[in-house]
Amino acid sequence: MSFLLRQISLTADGRDIVRAATLAKPQLSLGRAAENDIHLPDLALEPDHARIEQIDDRTIRVRATGTLGFELDGRTIRSATIDTTKGAELRFGGHRITVSRDDDGAAILTIRRVDAVSEASEEKEEARVFSLVGLLPSKRLTAWAMALAILIGFLAIPIWSYASRPTDDTRNIFTVAGDKSWSSGPLSQAHHALEGKCETCHQKAFVSVRDSACQTCHKDVHDHAPATRIAMARAEPGFGGKLLGLVAATFGKPPEGACVDCHREHEGAGPMQPTPQAFCTDCHGTLRDRLKDTKLGNAADFGTDHPQFMPLIQTIAGRHPRFSRASLDAKPMEDNGLKFPHAVHLSKTGGVARMARTMKGQADYGDVLACKDCHKPTADGVRFLPVNMERDCQSCHSLAFETIGGTVRTLRHGQPEQVIADLRAYFRSTTPATPLALGGMARRRPGDYAQGRIYSAYFGAAAARPSRADDAIRAVFSKGGACYDCHTVTPPQANGNASWQVTPVNQPMRYMMNGWFDHKAHRTESCESCHAAPKSHDARQLLLPNLDSCRTCHGGEKSKADVPSGCAMCHSYHVDDGAPWTPAARKIKEKPHKPRAADRET
Amino acid sequence: MATRAPARARRVKGEALHDGFLRYAGFRWLKIATLFSVVAMVSYMLVDVTPRHNGGSWYGYTMGTIGVILILWLTLLGLRKRAMTRGRWSLKTWTSAHVYLGLSLIVIATLHTGFQMGWNVHTLAYALMMLVILSGIFGITVYATIPSALSNNRAEMTQGQMLDALRAIDRQLHDAAQPLPHDQAALVRQSLDQAPFGGGLVARLSGRYPRCGTARAQTALRHWTGDHPDTGQEPLEKIDALLERKLAMLARLRRHLKLKALLEIWLYVHVPVTFALLAALTAHIVSVFFYW
Repeated sequence: MSFLLRQISLTADGRDIVRAATLAKPQLSLGRAAENDIHLPDLALEPDHARIEQIDDRTIRVRATGTLGFELDGRTIRSATIDTTKGAELRFGGHRITVSRDDDGAAILTIRRVDAVSEASEEKEEARVFSLVGLLPSKRLTAWAMALAILIGFLAIPIWSYASRPTDDTRNIFTVAGDKSWSSGPLSQAHHALEGKCETCHQKAFVSVRDSACQTCHKDVHDHAPATRIAMARAEPGFGGKLLGLVAATFGKPPEGACVDCHREHEGAGPMQPTPQAFCTDCHGTLRDRLKDTKLGNAADFGTDHPQFMPLIQTIAGRHPRFSRASLDAKPMEDNGLKFPHAVHLSKTGGVARMARTMKGQADYGDVLACKDCHKPTADGVRFLPVNMERDCQSCHSLAFETIGGTVRTLRHGQPEQVIADLRAYFRSTTPATPLALGGMARRRPGDYAQGRIYSAYFGAAAARPSRADDAIRAVFSKGGACYDCHTVTPPQANGNASWQVTPVNQPMRYMMNGWFDHKAHRTESCESCHAAPKSHDARQLLLPNLDSCRTCHGGEKSKADVPSGCAMCHSYHVDDGAPWTPAARKIKEKPHKPRAADRET
Repeated sequence: MATRAPARARRVKGEALHDGFLRYAGFRWLKIATLFSVVAMVSYMLVDVTPRHNGGSWYGYTMGTIGVILILWLTLLGLRKRAMTRGRWSLKTWTSAHVYLGLSLIVIATLHTGFQMGWNVHTLAYALMMLVILSGIFGITVYATIPSALSNNRAEMTQGQMLDALRAIDRQLHDAAQPLPHDQAALVRQSLDQAPFGGGLVARLSGRYPRCGTARAQTALRHWTGDHPDTGQEPLEKIDALLERKLAMLARLRRHLKLKALLEIWLYVHVPVTFALLAALTAHIVSVFFYW
């Protein structure tokens, strides 16, 4: 009955040293205390940890004495009976005890320390433990994961969503679109409904947006000018423009002049930005250098380089008038057919002002006449209606000639033939005032001769009365007459006329045919600040403000003027009769302007 | 020393061996990169691009092309650093250029965007690039400041020596604790079983280990030693002194680990995000021409 102990320890260079001892005892004590038969210096063990007893030739029992157990073949137990011929592996703390049996029947306990003394004493790979390896996923792994995630999410999915798009596309803007992450910015207000439907404009992959895509909706937009002339007009691009052109040509972008050149998208929600003036001045800044036959002046900036206004004026009045454009620099006169001195009507003193005060109660006049008393704006406020005789003049310039039973008869304005006919009818149907002798109210003169004169005078006048109409007609159409005061009248026979002719009056509502002017946008200004009407003594004077007048407020697009004005404020690229397109932002922005210097002085 | 002469001859004029990559050749690359950025900024102001600056103008294309070439070249440092050479195109030159041209990329790329940002792949690429650059700036900062702190903390010890010192203390603790009853021995074991390189990333970067086994073991053992005189016989007194030494050693080791972690952590952002950036850049370029 004995135990054979084999304690194995390692030398510094890793070799095993075996110390064997035979203990001829039936029972061995095991523990951390030095008195034990098997002394294991292991803090995981109790000082007196276990007993190992020989039960018979081939059986030993292991029994824990304290509260801690031991491991047998990996299971923690407190007592075990072991067949030494079969063998077993026990574990006490950091020590392993292998049980076996020698040929003589003695139980062999092979003891080996398997755990290091401490965690730090275990073998460490210095490069690893002193670095962040193990604490973080490796750089390579993270790199692959992130790169793949981005390539899938932002490249593969968008392309897939483009390629797998059904032909009958029923998506709306709220449907999540795979290629939405490609959009460089929101679309403008007008195109908001197309948000997420990239292929509406980007019709083919790697093919830039073509005009045809725009024209599927914008069908009736016409060109600015014939393409060949535009090509001739365009200035040679600078270095940057050439570079851009090169890139565009290399990647198959259409040449300059495409819709998207001016109408940029993905520039942010809200109204589309107005086209900057540079897009116009590329051609128009130095247009005359290239288009020798153009009638247009060069225009590079409203504030500094813009031709004088050239309104369309009537040069020859009459039934067959002639119009031509003339620069305001030449101070052109326009014969509009009227003799109308503005100065007289707007004067603060004199007959007109007096008349206005007299009529204050009936008409809506002030102490003096104002522009608005005669000039009425159009419904949209952009322009003014032509002055209308019946509405705007007649309250003072009466054409009344007879009262019948309280009803005033007036000559018909605008119809000279009717005027002539009415006057003739008047003289035919009325008699001169009847003398008292004939039953009239006139004072009777004494004597027979007087009596005879009354007869001859009255009946003579009555007989000649119809022919008096000619005198009245002549008077009306001649100097001092109702028509002649305002109108240019040609008498019969002159110019081969059969009768009296009144030259038609020309009151254009628009002088600037290629530029847009909106009176409503200028309602914060007084009329006189632009139109010098109070000083105009001649109806032929054109009261249009010139370029300098506009420039007191308006400057170029990037100027510091009160109203920076790009070309598009007044001009339209796709020219038509309507107003140029105005961004909504500018419409809202209309705020009271500072009073102009001229106004402050008065 | 015949072998050294050619090496010295290959050195660029004005370069001292001890110059770091930051002050290489009298800040040559700092000057070049500054000039580069100033030219870019001035031209941005002067060039009148219509309707406004963005990536699609000719100026935008130019900046974008310069930017992408720069990014690719900067990425190549990862390959270049594996071959250390001297001379005009030495690794030091290359690194110096990498740092300063990388910084100038902030200007180039920002001007390329024309300050138009959004929630899209384009801005993603920009954001990733900025993240790479910012992590790079962090890296430069720690490279400039931490090595001296690291050296002060080491007290002439190598990493291996620090670990060996710890092991020596552990062995002594183990031996000294042998006579102790089990509950006290368990406390010592708590210190022995403590992993000096344990704790997560936060502990490593902050240097704080609130659940430190050694500190807890010492606190607990002082319940016994606190009201006993130090007779020189008591094994607990020896253990207390050993735990004290171990704590000091651990503090030094942890400071060392913290500084080393700071030196390393930025690369865990800088490198993977660079590859994420390359992917986003690819998506950016493809998408721009896909939906052109």
